[in-house]
Amino acid sequence: MNMAKSESMAGAGRGNAARSRAGRSREDVRLAGDGAGSALLLMAPALAVYAVFTLFPIAVTFWLSFTDSNGFNTDAGFVGLENYRKAAADPILWQSLWQTLLWLVYHVVLAGGLGLGLALAIARLRRSQVFFRTAFFLPHLVSLAVVGVIWANIYDPFFGLLNTSLVAIGLGGWTQGWLSDPSLVLFSVNVASSWQGFGLYMLLFIAGLQDIDPSLYDAAEVDGASAFQKLVYVTLPGLREVMTFVMSLAMINGLKGFATVFVMTNGGPFYQSELITTYIYRLAFQSQDHGLAAVLCILLSVLAITITVVFNKWRARLSR
Amino acid sequence: MTMHKREWPTVVALAPVLLLVLAPFAWLIVSSLKSEIEIGQADPLSLPANLMWRNYQDAWQIGGFSELIGNSFLNLAGVVALTLLTCTPAGYALSKIRFPGREWLFYAFILGLTIPIQAIVIPLYEVLTALGLVNSLSGIVLAQVSNGIPFGIFLMRSFFTNVPDELVEAAKVDGATHLQILTKVFLPISTPAVQALIIISALSTWNDFFLPLVVLISPQVQTLPLGLVRFAGTYSSEYRLVFSGTVISFLPIILLYILTQRRFTEGLTQGAIKG
Repeated sequence: MNMAKSESMAGAGRGNAARSRAGRSREDVRLAGDGAGSALLLMAPALAVYAVFTLFPIAVTFWLSFTDSNGFNTDAGFVGLENYRKAAADPILWQSLWQTLLWLVYHVVLAGGLGLGLALAIARLRRSQVFFRTAFFLPHLVSLAVVGVIWANIYDPFFGLLNTSLVAIGLGGWTQGWLSDPSLVLFSVNVASSWQGFGLYMLLFIAGLQDIDPSLYDAAEVDGASAFQKLVYVTLPGLREVMTFVMSLAMINGLKGFATVFVMTNGGPFYQSELITTYIYRLAFQSQDHGLAAVLCILLSVLAITITVVFNKWRARLSR
Repeated sequence: MTMHKREWPTVVALAPVLLLVLAPFAWLIVSSLKSEIEIGQADPLSLPANLMWRNYQDAWQIGGFSELIGNSFLNLAGVVALTLLTCTPAGYALSKIRFPGREWLFYAFILGLTIPIQAIVIPLYEVLTALGLVNSLSGIVLAQVSNGIPFGIFLMRSFFTNVPDELVEAAKVDGATHLQILTKVFLPISTPAVQALIIISALSTWNDFFLPLVVLISPQVQTLPLGLVRFAGTYSSEYRLVFSGTVISFLPIILLYILTQRRFTEGLTQGAIKG
């Protein structure tokens, strides 16, 4: 589940820190006593599933990155840092890393930007708010792989919606091979992903806007603030926390991007839309190079952890 | 929020944006009712001369969509049920019981909260193989539940943390066990959190493509998105089938959403923000 991971971390982390600062607080004393037994019982189902299907694989991935495993040699040998050396010298890895970062930026700007813009417009509506909120959210319900099938057809050079519409409105010169042009393909695919993604960010921004204290606007009104000044001095500062949350969520979602690329281009042409995730899939399940794939897995995890930690620090500072 | 009395300027400005955002749906639905020859004419604004409902019959049969939808439903139901069964008691324990190793467990779950599923897929696949769960819906359900457990636990935990400890104390005085407190006292007041967890886990399962792609190999066990991608690849030269198959893959969920949208939106935003 990809939503709100970083937010819950921040919340949980704060609570935790507060608790350890207070030492054994009143709460702890009162709740102590019959602890361990019932706790273990209640945690057991979650812990069992999680240990087998998440914790154990995390540990094994780490180990795999130091072996020459290819999935069939069960007696994979320890090769030290060989895979890391191979990874550092692999041009496709660097390309997929660079493209993944570019992909993140595109997604934050396109999906986050559209979500914010629409939220600012929609939150001020009264009678038609539910209508617009519902209608703009529809793309988010389409599963990303289905989005890939849809947009592969939209981008079809001959009968796709995009090129045929451009011709129909007299912009025939603008038609492109959206998915075959190496310099366009990553952006084109990202548009498809962002079309699916912006609805959630829009909802979160709307919720954030509704949490802003209305009296702040009244005060600004009294001071004779213009609509633009209200936006800059009241609305945007009031949205700061939601903004950092949406940014981290969009970046993590971008990092996990896989389905649209896999369906629409499979990383091509010439690896121009290869992401770390699609490269992992290729290495792990097509060329069976598990050692190198494991290095990429660790790279992906490090990126995810870095993004989460940085944004949590940032948000913790904002909320202080 | 300042409420403007006249909202029509905003509505007028939003209308073209909405048209643009929803154009793909309209184009697909119209195209899905065209004949192959009409699609070949590549005129986005033309309407079909005769509504080709046959496209849907053909796609439904050839693509085996009843089976795919059935599998996706089983997948969804399994993940949602197991997520609730595992995360609710664990969230309770983490918020209301003090026990040794709690901090340690907490960080173990944070780890899984952060690491993307693609980063652990190689050993995960081997675990599923070892357990005989590759190519089975149970395998995919367990892997997806595990992937969602950290989020689910933190969501339930943060909700339960806000429930006064006095409730636990009072129930304990009456001789209730923690399991009884959870089911008799906490669950009845947890509807918002449970609702949010149901919606978020259902949506992320519905959206998942990576795990099904890796784990579900034969068509009989595949989920809807995976089946559609396979179908669109196999019949890529029969556009009328690809279009109608695609519409079959998104229309039901969209109708369901429109019917339940208020509750859905609430659950989703509250869950995402408070989780």
